[in-house]
Amino acid sequence: MDISQTEAEEALDAIQSMAEKTRRSIAEGGTYITLILTGVIWLLGFMATQFLSTNIIGYIWGGLSILGTILGFVMGFRRSKQIRSPLTIQMVRRVGIFWLILVLFCLAVIFVAQPADGKRAVLLIILFIMLGQMAMGLLLSFSTVWWTLLIAGLALVGYFLFPDIFYLWMSILGGGGMIVFGLYIRSRW
Amino acid sequence: MAKFNKLIHQNIRLRIMAALTTLESTDEVDFTYLRDLLEVTDGNLGAHLRKLEEAGYIAINKPFVDRKPRSFACSTDEGRKVFKEHVAALESILKE
Repeated sequence: MDISQTEAEEALDAIQSMAEKTRRSIAEGGTYITLILTGVIWLLGFMATQFLSTNIIGYIWGGLSILGTILGFVMGFRRSKQIRSPLTIQMVRRVGIFWLILVLFCLAVIFVAQPADGKRAVLLIILFIMLGQMAMGLLLSFSTVWWTLLIAGLALVGYFLFPDIFYLWMSILGGGGMIVFGLYIRSRW
Repeated sequence: MAKFNKLIHQNIRLRIMAALTTLESTDEVDFTYLRDLLEVTDGNLGAHLRKLEEAGYIAINKPFVDRKPRSFACSTDEGRKVFKEHVAALESILKE
């Protein structure tokens, strides 16, 4: 079959763009869900921490964390049904172990450092979460690493420059920012 | 090595093969995921998948997931080979 150079070029462009779209959808499919889910939890949790009494805050964070974990599992399960791979189960197990170890390390650091106030403990937790997300991004896709640096930077700026409104800062810029990034990634796909 | 493939060259089939060969050879994708990725209708995708399956370029598995029938597609070794040859043929046309 004889085809022109233009037609061959168009076909190669279509192949390349489809391959890129597939790679992006695999890499970013999980990221946008994580971003939106974490963003909503941070938005509500930090907003409550800024304005409500300390007695209620623990329950709110506890409830949000349980809800987030359940939703994360449900969404991850739904996603895994779209692409079936023998490597997925092994990867999920390793990711789970990594997060468990990271949580233990975070608790150990908080226990050793004995943070003077709640804000310092929260900052440490945020930095550990972002470290974990960055590791996930580096292992699974290089395109989803940069936002973790931005959130970690925002947390440090808020903690040192705006300590009085640190929780509000993290709620709107951290939580809200993650929701916006998540929606942006979703719309791009 | 560079061998033009008339069956694969059709636009939608070309994109199906590009998507499936981008995945690991052991991965298989759900029909609805592929439909959304390619932005085509159910009927259109089904017809092109059948042609590729008949040629032996892809394999369709139809397991029951949560007691519902689902379709998963993956590229075969033969499919990967002919797709690679087709891409090489297209590249050689550009070099002429």
